[in-house]
Amino acid sequence: MTRSKLVIPAVLTVLLVVLVYLFFRGGRDGFRLEKVPSAGKADPSPVAEGEKKTITLFFLSEDDDRLHPEERQVVSGTSPTEEVETTVREFLKGSSDGLLSPFPPETGLRQAFVTGDGTAYVDLSKAVQDDFTYGSSSEIGAVYSLVNTLAFNFKAVKKVSILIDGGERETLGGHIDLSRPLVPRFSLIAR
Amino acid sequence: MSSDAGSIPAASIFCICNKVIIMKRRILWAFGAILFLTALAAPAFPQAQSLLKLSTRDLAGSSRVILSSSEPLAFSFRREPSVLIVAIEAQRPLRVRQDVFKSGGLKSVSWTGDRNSYEFSIEVREKDFAYDYKVRKNPFELVIEIKPVAVEPEPAPAVLTAAIETKAAVRTPAPAAAIPEVSRSSSPREDRKFRTIVIDPGHGGIETGAKGKFGALEKDITLAMSLKLKEIIEKNMAFRVILTRDRDMEVALENRSALANNNKADLFISIHANGSRRKNSRGSETYFLSLNATDEESRRLAYLENANGDLEGRIEKENEDDVTLILWDLAQAAYLKQSSQLADRIQAGLNDLLGTRNRGVKQAPFKVLTGAACPAVLVEAAFISNPEEEKELQSEEFQNNVARAIYQSLVEYFRLGS
Repeated sequence: MTRSKLVIPAVLTVLLVVLVYLFFRGGRDGFRLEKVPSAGKADPSPVAEGEKKTITLFFLSEDDDRLHPEERQVVSGTSPTEEVETTVREFLKGSSDGLLSPFPPETGLRQAFVTGDGTAYVDLSKAVQDDFTYGSSSEIGAVYSLVNTLAFNFKAVKKVSILIDGGERETLGGHIDLSRPLVPRFSLIAR
Repeated sequence: MSSDAGSIPAASIFCICNKVIIMKRRILWAFGAILFLTALAAPAFPQAQSLLKLSTRDLAGSSRVILSSSEPLAFSFRREPSVLIVAIEAQRPLRVRQDVFKSGGLKSVSWTGDRNSYEFSIEVREKDFAYDYKVRKNPFELVIEIKPVAVEPEPAPAVLTAAIETKAAVRTPAPAAAIPEVSRSSSPREDRKFRTIVIDPGHGGIETGAKGKFGALEKDITLAMSLKLKEIIEKNMAFRVILTRDRDMEVALENRSALANNNKADLFISIHANGSRRKNSRGSETYFLSLNATDEESRRLAYLENANGDLEGRIEKENEDDVTLILWDLAQAAYLKQSSQLADRIQAGLNDLLGTRNRGVKQAPFKVLTGAACPAVLVEAAFISNPEEEKELQSEEFQNNVARAIYQSLVEYFRLGS
């Protein structure tokens, strides 16, 4: 009896403390993406009956400091988000034509999606920064090869926000501002 | 179990004849009652307290203090020398939350009071100031604009002894007395006598920047070049030079431009060594900020293209709020034209002295430049990723040449520009 009476106020207290805590910390969290397993899309390898489409990826080159296109066949997706994800995965695999990949080969894609206002969010794994240094040129090359690749292939993508390991980062390596979405710069593409 | 909670305490007292237990129970019941009352009051609580957000920003020639709240507030102003006091009255209790203090024109903003009434004291750097305010509804926003009253700045003494001494002379440290100390307490008029240049050696600390094949680090080279540039400017120009770091340490990007704004810098020069995935990339280039804006944003920002720092004068009244909203984080937007002129000058100077490939003046959204409220550029002296240029970058001679090239460009910039 006595014990049960003790339990009720104790439970109430704990509940109240939790509620008060939740109330006061509400809205104070920064923007953070949790990794959501992409439903049924873990393996982007071609499916026999899937319709193919050609995408253009941009890479760097030993020849000059511009961005160079490389075409690739992929299976069409059912939504812009799905196709953007496929494209980024292909992009992260690097060139099959001797061009230079702007990101470290270990870089993975955690998640990608497109919002209604035309912003593609691309959440890259931590490897994009680990043990890798960027100078201004290589950082500009890395950022805009990705941004241009998405804006070039998808009309729905007007700008690209690059996230790292689920969160916003100021820069990749101390140079280009990642805190706001980037618009493409097609002038960097080789003619 | 739940029916137990509702039973009358007196009834259960008969069952247990221990006074200590009765005491304990009473305490428990009193505690329970308090909890119950608190629970009753809880639903009203979230609405009862609204947030009063306080933020500060510098615009061209003025500073802003913004008080925003979901509730409409009554306010009144009172002024004292160097201080503007804003009294706020609210229907419901308020909680004040202050954003990072981002103003160089203001000394501080503090507040007293609690619950429904607060007094904010805005301390202005200048003794004489003018203020104006605007109110927006839904949500409530009180935008207070503070302008220092124009104390005609004396023209900077043009002690531009253009002739550069020999290298030996350059190495002799400048007499300390010639260089005014960075001092916040001295009168603003005294500060104004000297133009201030902020030099930003890129990277630092664990943030090494680009790496060379032979192990050179961008952070070390940028620091060496920046120290040389500081020395040569101080020796030859009556300018105050402030470094964002003078040793190997980490400095946040936004603190670098904030240092310039807090010291009312006339110029911000960030010094870097370039890195590329491509081994053969070579040459020197100078950047100024590109706005990275969508078409719609660009149209709005078009107002500022020719603003030349006179931001407020260029913006039509009805558009002012929208445009300045964008500017809060982009102080540099108002200085793009001057920044591009400065970049042109510096690139020309590098071409004259360095013998490196001219990669020209370029634009990119560099984080370190976005917040600077003065002409600002980023110099990429040469490529650390190119083994030949890596060696050059490490040599005293090349570093001195970079410093001399930038110094001469500044002489030209100030001679022609003003």
